[in-house]
Amino acid sequence: MKRLVLAEFAEPEPLVEAARKLRESGREGLDAYSPYPIHGIDEALQLPRSKVPLVALIAGLAGATGGYVLQWWTNAIDYEINVANRPPHAWPTNIPVTFESGVLVCVLTIFFGSLFYFFGLPRTYHPVFEAEAFRSASLDKFWISAELREGEEPGDLERALRELGAGRVTHVKEED
Amino acid sequence: MAISAAARLEARRALEPLPLLEGEQDDGTINKTLLDYVWRKPGKGWLLLIGLGLAGTGLLTLALVVTIAKGIGMWGNNIPVAWAFGIINFVWWIGIGHAGTLISAILLLFQQKWRTSINRFAEAMTLFAVLQAALFPVLHTGRPWFAIYWLFPYPSTNRIWPQFKSPLMWDVFAVSTYFITSLLFWYLGLIPDLAALRDSSTSRWMRRIYGTLSFGWRGSARHWHHYKIAYLLLAGLATPLVLSVHTIVSYDFAVSVVPGWHETIFPPYFVAGAVFSGFAMVMTLMVPARRFLKLKQVVTARHLEAMCKIMLATSLIVGYGYLMEHFLSWYSGNPYDFYQYANRRGILHGPFKSAAQDPYIPIFWLMVFCNIVVPSIFWSKFGRTNVYVMWVASIFINVGMWCERFVIVVISLHRDFLPSSWGLYKPTWVDLSLLFGTICFFSLLFLLFLKFLPAVAVQEVKEMRHELHKEHERHEIPEFSQEMVHPMELEVGEEEKR
Repeated sequence: MKRLVLAEFAEPEPLVEAARKLRESGREGLDAYSPYPIHGIDEALQLPRSKVPLVALIAGLAGATGGYVLQWWTNAIDYEINVANRPPHAWPTNIPVTFESGVLVCVLTIFFGSLFYFFGLPRTYHPVFEAEAFRSASLDKFWISAELREGEEPGDLERALRELGAGRVTHVKEED
Repeated sequence: MAISAAARLEARRALEPLPLLEGEQDDGTINKTLLDYVWRKPGKGWLLLIGLGLAGTGLLTLALVVTIAKGIGMWGNNIPVAWAFGIINFVWWIGIGHAGTLISAILLLFQQKWRTSINRFAEAMTLFAVLQAALFPVLHTGRPWFAIYWLFPYPSTNRIWPQFKSPLMWDVFAVSTYFITSLLFWYLGLIPDLAALRDSSTSRWMRRIYGTLSFGWRGSARHWHHYKIAYLLLAGLATPLVLSVHTIVSYDFAVSVVPGWHETIFPPYFVAGAVFSGFAMVMTLMVPARRFLKLKQVVTARHLEAMCKIMLATSLIVGYGYLMEHFLSWYSGNPYDFYQYANRRGILHGPFKSAAQDPYIPIFWLMVFCNIVVPSIFWSKFGRTNVYVMWVASIFINVGMWCERFVIVVISLHRDFLPSSWGLYKPTWVDLSLLFGTICFFSLLFLLFLKFLPAVAVQEVKEMRHELHKEHERHEIPEFSQEMVHPMELEVGEEEKR
C-alpha cells in the first residue's frame, strides 16, 4: 500500500526548488503535477531522456518500408497491372504513398505509445486523487508528491515541505 | 535631451506590439474565461443555430440517401464534366482544413506565440472540414460500399489490388493520414484541458464524463516530460503533411493531360490557396465566436491582424499563380492551353462579351475579385483592425476559393480538345443540397465543439502567460511603468551604478 505526502505550491519555481532539495536529500518516489509543463522540473527530478523520439523514428522507418513493400508486392509481384507498357515496378510513383504510410505509422505509434506505454493511461484511479484539493493541479496550482517509507510518519516530511514554501500539505494512502 | 520622458514612453508604446493577452490575467482568470462557458447553460442563440444546423444536416442526409439509392445520375455530372461538385467541394473543404494544421504545427515550430490562442479552434475546424471533404470522393465512386476494396489494399476475394500509380490512390493515403494525424494531434492537446474540465466540474456526471475523456490525466511531471516531445514530434510530422496533402490533391489534376490541369505550378499554388481559404474560414468562425464566448481578452486584435497579414500574403501567392498560368499558356505555344486560358476565361474579350458564348466566365471574374481584389483591403491598417471589414472579406475569400475550384474543374473539363465532345454542366438540387448540407453539418459540429470542449488551448495559454510574465521579470521591464528606462539611454555613470 502506497502512502504519499502531497504539497501544493502557488508558483512553479519554488516547486522545482523543493523537488531538487527533496531528491538531493535522498527522498524517493517523487513526482510533480502541474497544469502545464514547468521549466526545469526534468532536471530537478533527474528524469532520464525520453525514448519517444527513438520509438517514433523506428515506427516511421517501419511504416515507410511497409508502405513501399506493399506497393511493390501488390502492383509488381502479386498482380501485375500493365498500364501502357510502363514498368510494373516504377519507384517514383511509389514516393507519395511511402511517405504517407511512414507518417501514419509514426503518428499512431507516438500517440498510442505515449498514452498506453509512457503515460500508463487510461488510469482513472490514482492515490493522488484521494485528496479533494488536488483538483487544483490541473487548474492553477502546482503539486508535489513524495512517497513515505514503510512505517514512516508523515509529520517530518510535511514540515519540510512547508518550509520549502508549500501552501496546503496533506497525505493520502492508496485504497486497497 | 529635448524629448521629454513622457513623449519617449508614448513613442515606445506605439512601437510595442499589441498584447497577446489583454488585461491582468492569472491562471484563475484564464480558467474563468476559457473553461467556465462550458458549464453555463446554452443561450438561445446557440440553440437556434443548432436547430438550423440540424435542419441543414437533415437536408444533407436526404441528399445522401437520394445519391446512394438512385446513384450519381442524380448529380449534374456528365461527360465531359465527369468531375464536378464532388471534386470542387472535396478540394474546397480539404483546403479549408489546412489552416488548422498550419496554425497548430508550423507556427508551433516557428515559435509564434500568437498561435496559442487560436490553435485548438483551428484544429477542430480542420477535423470537421476534412470530414466533410472525405464524404465527396466516397460518394463520387458511385457505389461507396465497394469503395473499400477499390481504395484500400486488403486481400479481398477479387484478388485484385489498388493501382498505386494513380494519384487518386495517393490521395486516399494522403487524406486518411491527414485526418488521423489531425485527430490525434488535436486530442493530445486536448487531454490536459479535459482534465481541467474534470477538475473544475461541479456535477458528478460531468466529472465522470470528462474524467473518462481525459483518460485520468493528472499532469505528472513524468508524463509532461514525454508529452512535450510527443507533441512537438506530432507537430513536426504534421508540417510536411500540410504541404504533401494539397500537393497530392493537386496531382489529381496536374498529372493528367487536360488543358488547364496539366501544370507544374499546381502544387505550390494549391498549397497557398489552401492556407488562404483556411485562414479565411478561421476568420469567419473566430470573429463571431470570440464575441459570443467572450474570448476577446485571449483572442486579441493582434491575432486577427496576424491572420489578415497571412491572408494577404497567401492571396498574393495565389494571384501570382493565376498570372503565371496565364502567362505560360501563351508562352508554351500550346493552342489548347492558350484557348483554355485566354478565350474561355474571357481574358481576350472581357467578362461580359464572352459570357454570351460561355456561361462560366463570370465565375472566373468573381474568383479574381474575391481572391485578389478583396484581400487588398488588408494592405491598410483599417482593414486589418476593423472586425466587420475582415469578417466580410473572409466570406468573400471563402466564396472566391470555391469559385477557383469551379474554374479549375468545370471550366477546364467542359471544353477540352475536341469541339465535338464539348458540353455544359448544370448542378442539380442534389448537388446544391450536398454543398449546403455539408456547410450546415460543419457548423453543427463546430457549435457542439464550442459548447462542450475548451475552444482555446487553456493549458498552453497558461504556459504562455507564465513565460511572458517571467520574461518581463527577467528583463526588468516593468509593464509600462513610469520608471522604464531603456539601457541605451542611460549615462555611462548610471550604467556602472546599476
